[in-house]
Amino acid sequence: MTLLEVKDLHTHFVKRDLDNKTRVAKALNGVSFTLDQGEVLGLVGETGAGKSLTALSIMGGLPPSARITQGSIKFKSKELVGLPREELDEIRGRDITIIVQSPLTSLDPLARIGEQLIRVQTLHRRISREEARKNALRMLKAVQIPDPEGRMNAWPHEMSGGMAQRVLMALSLVNEPDLLIADEPTTGLDVTVQAQVLDLLLDLMRSRNMATIIITHDLGVVANYCTKVAVMFSGTVVEYGAVGDVIDNPQHPYTRELIDSIPDRIAQRGYRRVGGAPDLYDLPAGCLFRYRCPKADDACGTPPPSVRFGPNHTAACHHLTPASSAAD
Amino acid sequence: MTTTTMTPEGDETFRSRAFARIAGITYHSPAFTMGAIIVLIFAILAFAAPLLTPYGPTQTFPDHVLSPPNAQFWFGTDGNGMDIFTRVIYGARYGFGIAIPSLMLMLIIGVPAGLVAGYMGGLVDDILLRSFDVLRAFPTIVLALAVVAATGQSLLIVIAVIGFLEAPIFARIVRAEVLALRSGELVESAVVVGNPTWRILVLHILPNAITGATAQSAIRMAWAVRVSTTLAFIGVGIQAPAPEWGVMIRLGAEYINTGEWWIATFPGLALVGLVLGLNLLGDGAQQLLDPKSQDSR
Amino acid sequence: MTIVEYFARRLAFVIPLVLGIVLITFLLVRLGGQEPTGLLAGPMATEAQMNLIRSELGLDKPIFEQFAIYLVNVLQGDLGKSWQSNSPVLDEILIRITASLELLLTSMALGALIGVPVGLRAALRPRGIFDQVSRAISLVSYSVPTYWMALMALFIFFLALGWAPPPMGRIDLAVFPPPTVTGSYFIDSLIAGDLEAAWSALGHLILPVCVFTLIVAAPIIKQTRAICLEVLSSDYIRMARLYGYGRKKVWRMTLRNALVPIVTYIGAELATLLAAVALVELVFSWGGLGQWGLNAILFGDFAAVQGYVLVLALFASIVYLIVDLIVLIAEPRAATR
Repeated sequence: MTLLEVKDLHTHFVKRDLDNKTRVAKALNGVSFTLDQGEVLGLVGETGAGKSLTALSIMGGLPPSARITQGSIKFKSKELVGLPREELDEIRGRDITIIVQSPLTSLDPLARIGEQLIRVQTLHRRISREEARKNALRMLKAVQIPDPEGRMNAWPHEMSGGMAQRVLMALSLVNEPDLLIADEPTTGLDVTVQAQVLDLLLDLMRSRNMATIIITHDLGVVANYCTKVAVMFSGTVVEYGAVGDVIDNPQHPYTRELIDSIPDRIAQRGYRRVGGAPDLYDLPAGCLFRYRCPKADDACGTPPPSVRFGPNHTAACHHLTPASSAAD
Repeated sequence: MTTTTMTPEGDETFRSRAFARIAGITYHSPAFTMGAIIVLIFAILAFAAPLLTPYGPTQTFPDHVLSPPNAQFWFGTDGNGMDIFTRVIYGARYGFGIAIPSLMLMLIIGVPAGLVAGYMGGLVDDILLRSFDVLRAFPTIVLALAVVAATGQSLLIVIAVIGFLEAPIFARIVRAEVLALRSGELVESAVVVGNPTWRILVLHILPNAITGATAQSAIRMAWAVRVSTTLAFIGVGIQAPAPEWGVMIRLGAEYINTGEWWIATFPGLALVGLVLGLNLLGDGAQQLLDPKSQDSR
Repeated sequence: MTIVEYFARRLAFVIPLVLGIVLITFLLVRLGGQEPTGLLAGPMATEAQMNLIRSELGLDKPIFEQFAIYLVNVLQGDLGKSWQSNSPVLDEILIRITASLELLLTSMALGALIGVPVGLRAALRPRGIFDQVSRAISLVSYSVPTYWMALMALFIFFLALGWAPPPMGRIDLAVFPPPTVTGSYFIDSLIAGDLEAAWSALGHLILPVCVFTLIVAAPIIKQTRAICLEVLSSDYIRMARLYGYGRKKVWRMTLRNALVPIVTYIGAELATLLAAVALVELVFSWGGLGQWGLNAILFGDFAAVQGYVLVLALFASIVYLIVDLIVLIAEPRAATR
């Protein structure tokens, strides 16, 4: 059964500038993907491509100036777009959880770690404090925090970045969600710890047969941990498919650019950007990648068609034909 | 559009663009526009004072002592027979005459101090922070009173004292900006290219730091007006018969209990007006400078 | 870190602060001020008489020696003599300070009681009607000078409406003040069981308290709102929302996190307001510390000015220490800072 189905999602920011003009930033422009139980989807792309915004749209955590203007998000066949906050609050934190960026500032500074782990359980489940306490401790052990008993009584400000990251993981897993979104779960961590954290996270997810979305700009992470991938550019999914197909047989010029740039990636800072991305306040019609695309021509002025390369592999480009292969 | 063919096309778009900008600012911060209008009115009063009233600010009318507001003396006259309307208008000159120079002084002392402290760090920074703490922790108005009372009753002293006492606020704002910028790439690259320190401070850090201080300027001017009038009300600093609002309220205070309310009321209203205008302006500027402010609601 | 250690560290900050302020005023008053010698000796005094008075007052010694002597005296509880009244400064302060504190603490308590809930309510729906109105009111009362508001209140409620008693002290002239216990006429009258005096004292208290409450509430409203909005936009509140915490729970978490900054702010305000209350005292002839201090400044009464400033600095320090203690209890991060 399809757990999550995101279809043609458009999220826009509206602001009014000092010249009294209403300006709309079209941050997401038709994002679609689906996720089944046990699958791991990688959302990959450069900064500003709309990865985190996609996650926030699903979680109902958009900033006040952002609106979902079009599209649907179905979780277990239930439409999340337009769902009243009270109903949404029963789903998020229990069935869907997220590991946010900036772990150090995301924990309530006035509650001990154990208390925060207990609180999120009693909020969503009928459970005794004693039971919740046991779960919390078990979870801290599972994310391999040293001295879990002691950490239960620790304050957030006593945590290092890596420890806080693990606490966030524990928080996201303690209610055994069906879907976990991990937003750049390894940024700010030592390179040696990165793999450790991801291994741990994915082990825990697989053992519970949960679905996961990993947001990253690291194709290596996608190749190693994900089952499918959606490559995003300027708020659109330019290529989508099983990891094997997309990584081994990339079709879209942008995916190729990403893969080609792996050797000289600038650590932690994302990819060397060959050119800019289009201004979200003034999006051109047609293919958004065409200003950076080596194949761009007049045809690219119209919206690109979705070209299918296999049962699980599509790319949006004017210059691809279903028959074409990796060798161009 | 058809009737405006007389004006050049450029003027027309300039004007409509200016209107759009004003509308935009007003939409985001009505306070800013309101404050700007109020301050502008007071500025006009200060400039055009002699044109707005037939009397002099210290001209006495011995036959009209303590007359209530009437057609001849709109705001009435005080115990010396001076026209309060005239004196209130001239008072705006004192308001700006104190606020602007003391703001200048605050900036002249505070901005370089903040630049140096933030850039150098270490002992200089410690001393600055500590002296700021001391000033923050203590009612500065008492220091101002003591200094002005001890050193003489002149306008210049009042300006100097206000300027000195509030300079640390700007020093702190600029220091914080510098610290934020110093770790940024802009300055890093300037250092790498081999710019001398003063050049980095002046060319790269100063313009950014100034932005942080502008919103505070109007609020500090409001404060300067308040403090100077408070000093005058207590009887320190500017003295009667100067047409200064604090002095006028002091003169009127004696008469409040006997019913001559107009002497203290009108200068007070003017004082509230200017201080409110400056505060609105400062508050609004802060709103406009806040990057989140342009988000739609 | 233990509480004792913590306080030792805070004291290490507070003592130089008080010393610094006392030194600054000492230098300013002595160096810049007109000497009281001439005033004391009268216009007919000879130079020899003047010198005699100078040496009696210790004014012929070098300035830092004078300061050292002053400090030693202060530590022994001797703040010098006011040359205006010729009585010890400490006594003058002690008989007046409760009158000022009565006014200040009542207004501050009321100001916080009004300001904090209003600020919270405004932050609940920023730019909503309640927010706009409370913002406008607090901006206006923020811009009104204390003494002018007091004068206007006096005119309206005493002269025009006749509701308030005349602005002459803390109790009706015809009523005997109660025996001093706390120094507050109202409380002392209640203790003495003298209802007439209590009623009279209360009547005199209401108007100045209302005026000063309005003055102190405005910045509290503004600051409470700003603090709440900052907490609401924090990462941990965003995270709580993403984890399904409902509006009420998010609000409770916000309050809890805003509490310490709000208390700190109110403390900082209180610490500097003992001086501002002087203006209300002046208009209402309250006879408190502030009125006395202003008078001392106006007449260059060295010892009295020094004593006044010392009390202000000490009061500020005590308030800061109390606030620190509250923060230490309520805020886990404070102890490790």
